[in-house]
Amino acid sequence: MTHVDSEQPFFFGRDGELFGIHHAAAVRGGRAVLLCAPLGQDYIRCHRLYRQLATALAAQGMPVLRFDYYGCGDSAGDSTQVDWRRCLSDTLAAAGELRRRSGAERVLAFGARLGGSIALAVGAAARFDDIVVWDPVIDGSAYVAAQDALQDAMRLDTRRFIRPRAWADAQGQWTGFAVSPLLRGQIGGLHAGWSAAPSLLLDSLAAKPPHDWLGVVADPARIRRLDATTPWDDLERLETAILSHALVQAVSDHWKEHAYA
Amino acid sequence: MPEQAFRFGRARHLVGIVGTPDIGRGGVGVILLNAGLVHRVGPFRLHVELARRLNACGYPTLRFDLSTIGDSGASGQSQSRTQQVRADVDDAMALLREHAGCRRFVLVGLCSGAENAHTVARADDSHEKLLGAVFLDGFAYRTLGFRLRHYLPRLLDMRRWSRWLARKAKQAAAGEAPAFSVAPLPQAVVRADLEGMVARGLKLCLVYSGGINMYFNHRRQFRECFGAVMADPAVTAHYASQTDHTYALGCDRRWLVGQVEAWLRRNFPTVHAGAS
Repeated sequence: MTHVDSEQPFFFGRDGELFGIHHAAAVRGGRAVLLCAPLGQDYIRCHRLYRQLATALAAQGMPVLRFDYYGCGDSAGDSTQVDWRRCLSDTLAAAGELRRRSGAERVLAFGARLGGSIALAVGAAARFDDIVVWDPVIDGSAYVAAQDALQDAMRLDTRRFIRPRAWADAQGQWTGFAVSPLLRGQIGGLHAGWSAAPSLLLDSLAAKPPHDWLGVVADPARIRRLDATTPWDDLERLETAILSHALVQAVSDHWKEHAYA
Repeated sequence: MPEQAFRFGRARHLVGIVGTPDIGRGGVGVILLNAGLVHRVGPFRLHVELARRLNACGYPTLRFDLSTIGDSGASGQSQSRTQQVRADVDDAMALLREHAGCRRFVLVGLCSGAENAHTVARADDSHEKLLGAVFLDGFAYRTLGFRLRHYLPRLLDMRRWSRWLARKAKQAAAGEAPAFSVAPLPQAVVRADLEGMVARGLKLCLVYSGGINMYFNHRRQFRECFGAVMADPAVTAHYASQTDHTYALGCDRRWLVGQVEAWLRRNFPTVHAGAS
């Protein structure tokens, strides 16, 4: 099996609506990893990093599944149809698909931003053996306010548009993606307090001191600060890929060290 | 939804999604090329929206990642960038021919995607497979008209002068930074290429946005850049000053999708055009 042959794209789930790429591992172990993508522009910006992480984990002997929620990426549905509850059920379907394809008994999950929140929200139902999250969204109302402010700044940005755009042109969207009132309300209601807890929380937010994460992780030793701040909500880098060798290394090392835990 | 995922290509190194209409095989296949380093879904999912709209109109589509972009790997072959792009697009055409029955194709590309579409379309034998191309923010050059439109309104604006002087002073203090970029084709070459494409029967659609106003700022600039070929009936050109380079607003994406759809319907009507 060549390197590229080990990454197989396919559709799965109800009516084949979900797109995924399965990274087979050269040597099979008992564990597989599900990568839960963030939503919106974070998804586009993290695509490369997710592929790098999947390649690194597969090289360590863990099959990996990357997938797109309904209404995201290559999956069916349009952006207006993204629904938080559907994201959760899609994640359950993806976990089942990964178990079936890999034969692994134990499934671990990783998620960045809203992908981290999804992994935590569905962790118990999906029977994840372990979860690692990166800058998860734990305060939905603050996230909604930040995305609204970013969208407003974008429409007024004369480096992007010759003239500022009308509010009506930009409403109901967050940085390039339609957001239905339903999804907006669902995300606005998010708050920490999930039954599942991550074994590692990677923090790269500039304004968040570690104690802000204690609603998600009771043990501060499970929080690790990455040296570089990730510019998630930086309008000037809205279309710049988010890459982090430190993140890939941290996740790979964590699951290598805890292989027999 | 009739979409299928494929790993394909001469080294099975490419990843793409074929979308087929409900009305059967054949017809003109539309191939969407990467915009910069964004994977095949396109900026803000533009390529997904466009592909599905065209499928609904009866056109088979393929959105895929070129070698080493998105989910595609390297072919392992020692090729120049031009050879690699042409070989990747050949592979894409072969896939769409096999799975959707298409024999002739239209390429759609934004920014570097337009450059790559141009690279394929300028080949002497491109008309054997290609029927046309859509260049979104493709090649453009600062013309005298551009400079007049750009600088004249700024001449008497003292604030702009002071900002320009401050910027120049800062640049002088910082010194020359090394530049790593691909030199664009010369204007005369691109003009001759477009003439050659039209002479070989290709239909062209150029859509340029306000997001490239640092070097393109008026519809007249198409003619200033590329000459009389822009008046040929085979060429359609739009300048959308209100939009940004990557169509970040939903209403702008809908406008663009509508333009491409209308151009395809006009130039390459499907037997069942109108089915949606």
